[in-house]
Amino acid sequence: MTDILRSWIGSALPDWLIVLIAYLIVTTIVLFYAVGNFILMVWAERRVVARMQDRLGPNRVGPAGLLQPIADAVKMFTKEDIVPRNADRWVHLLAPVVSLAPVAMMLAVIPWGRGWEPIDLNVALLYIVAVSAVSGVGLMMAGWGSNNKFALLGAMRAVAQLVSYEIPAVTALLTVVVLAGGMSLLNLPHLQAGVPIMGATILCNDPAGCSPLLYTTVTLFPGSPNEPVQALDLGLGWWVFTPVGLLGFVVFFIAALAEGERTPFDIPEADSEIVAGYMTEYSGMKFATFYIAQYILNFALAALAATAFLGGWQGPGVAALANMDGPWVHVAAALSAFYLLAKIWILFFVMIWLRGAFPRLRVDQLMDFAWKLLLPLALVNIVSASLMVSITQWTDTQWSGLVNLDGFASWQRQLIAVVVTAIINIAATYWILSINQRPKEEEWDEELVVAT
Amino acid sequence: MNTLITILFLVFAVFILAAAIMTVTVKNIVHAALWLISSFFGVGALYLLMEAEFLGVAQVLIYVGAVSILILFAIMLTRDLEGSQNRQLTPRWWIALIVPAALFGVLIVPTVMTHAWQLPPPPAGQPPTISSAQQIGTAFMREYLLPFEVAAILLLVAMIGAIVVAFEEREQRRRVLTLAEQVRLRRQRQQQVATLPEPAVSVIQPSEATSGEM
Repeated sequence: MTDILRSWIGSALPDWLIVLIAYLIVTTIVLFYAVGNFILMVWAERRVVARMQDRLGPNRVGPAGLLQPIADAVKMFTKEDIVPRNADRWVHLLAPVVSLAPVAMMLAVIPWGRGWEPIDLNVALLYIVAVSAVSGVGLMMAGWGSNNKFALLGAMRAVAQLVSYEIPAVTALLTVVVLAGGMSLLNLPHLQAGVPIMGATILCNDPAGCSPLLYTTVTLFPGSPNEPVQALDLGLGWWVFTPVGLLGFVVFFIAALAEGERTPFDIPEADSEIVAGYMTEYSGMKFATFYIAQYILNFALAALAATAFLGGWQGPGVAALANMDGPWVHVAAALSAFYLLAKIWILFFVMIWLRGAFPRLRVDQLMDFAWKLLLPLALVNIVSASLMVSITQWTDTQWSGLVNLDGFASWQRQLIAVVVTAIINIAATYWILSINQRPKEEEWDEELVVAT
Repeated sequence: MNTLITILFLVFAVFILAAAIMTVTVKNIVHAALWLISSFFGVGALYLLMEAEFLGVAQVLIYVGAVSILILFAIMLTRDLEGSQNRQLTPRWWIALIVPAALFGVLIVPTVMTHAWQLPPPPAGQPPTISSAQQIGTAFMREYLLPFEVAAILLLVAMIGAIVVAFEEREQRRRVLTLAEQVRLRRQRQQQVATLPEPAVSVIQPSEATSGEM
């Protein structure tokens, strides 16, 4: 972007202004992309939930009710902005902004397509975790600034949930850091090339006989100084197909549901208990800001889950198109952006599905679930991920240590790693689940006797 | 580019100082906490400006995301929200001024005296990055392994201590029964009443009345 602008108006403006303008343009594009998706997500959620509950949902405004979100937006704009008399005016005003801004900042580091990445930050994963933690401050401000018991209770619940579910989420993302050998998000889709389960480990033995449609040049592991090799690449070597990635994805997705306050975890805004939680005293555009923040948070978390575990923009055909010269590279970029969007929407559909299917959890169930089930699973998964990396990447010449597998081909190593980690993960999951499902009857009876 | 960075630095510096001053002078304690958070955020932005990405992000994660939320929780759970308009300045404010100033001096004077200032700045090309995640990780695992491990053990001890304290408190606390448990309790009592001989019913009766209060 900067380069294009420089070639257009490079002589007329100072360099720093061009950089600034380029960033502004990219920011605008990303924000419009997110808000456009937000509008469609609101419509899709209402329609799909209605379908699951045997209703029709919004179907009057525009074709199939597609323009309903716009009508809602107009209504929000024209609503009266009410601030309670005893509220803290400034805190009340700033709270929606403080909760939306970090969510928008999360969008900056996600690679939206092949070569379409706003910022290359080498600590992108940590950045996303850090920034999403800031929105807790906004929720606290909303709860306190409203001067309302329901709002304060909702904010307390929201922040407690956010803080405790951050731990399994971060631990699940740590497996990705171990597998990728770094915290950059840009590398992740490149690393998930290849075929299911085996990844990009099926190499080409005869450089002349390998079709460029099926084989691409990949650097196997960017953490190690390996030579680039030709490997079979269908764009399907997603980590979710390996045992480590599967467990990590499940843990992260559940934790993301809780962070985005989706339905099994929508305790902070349980409308049958505390009206609307921290949003109780908000109306008009301020309420709409909270609403946007929530949906864009879900959008960003789905994009993060897709990038970290489902291959991001990786998909069949992207690498083959990118190998061709000329305009095909742009076609590859568009196709890759479409793949990422499709993955995000599939994940979002699962979120709606869960909303239609599950009742709300209790607070103690919420905490038990995070600390007794998700966190142990994520910790076991880190051990598996380390084993996987040591089996597939360590050689005698560099980082020798745990296992000596010199002389094995890369696909043999990958197979060994998959089998070993599958055994560990299945055994650990079974064990942790069986511990959690053990009935507590005896213990309860004792306490009941004490209570009498 | 240098002009832009200088302007940004000045903006951030003024913002941090203003927020810090507001933190210690503002009357409302929740406002003070919020100003403190914005000051932390400004420091994170300064780190990012110096291309110390890891430090900047860690600053936001730890101070804004964790410490300040803990502070807000503590304020909101312990203070009376209405009556927190009293001034934060105590009569002995000058002692509170001297101690941090002395501590700051202990840190800043040796730094200023011994640091090799690169003025004018080194030419562009391969800038020495001292703050990338990889280098920090290597430093922790090689040079500063002992302090790192000691800090880790300290945190572990604190965590175990917190759990022990929580469990002790829980033992003394009476458990709140769920609706299903209350129903089952009542059913158990009815069975007891049914099996007990006639005069015992009058003894059971008062406890039946108290169970309604739970």
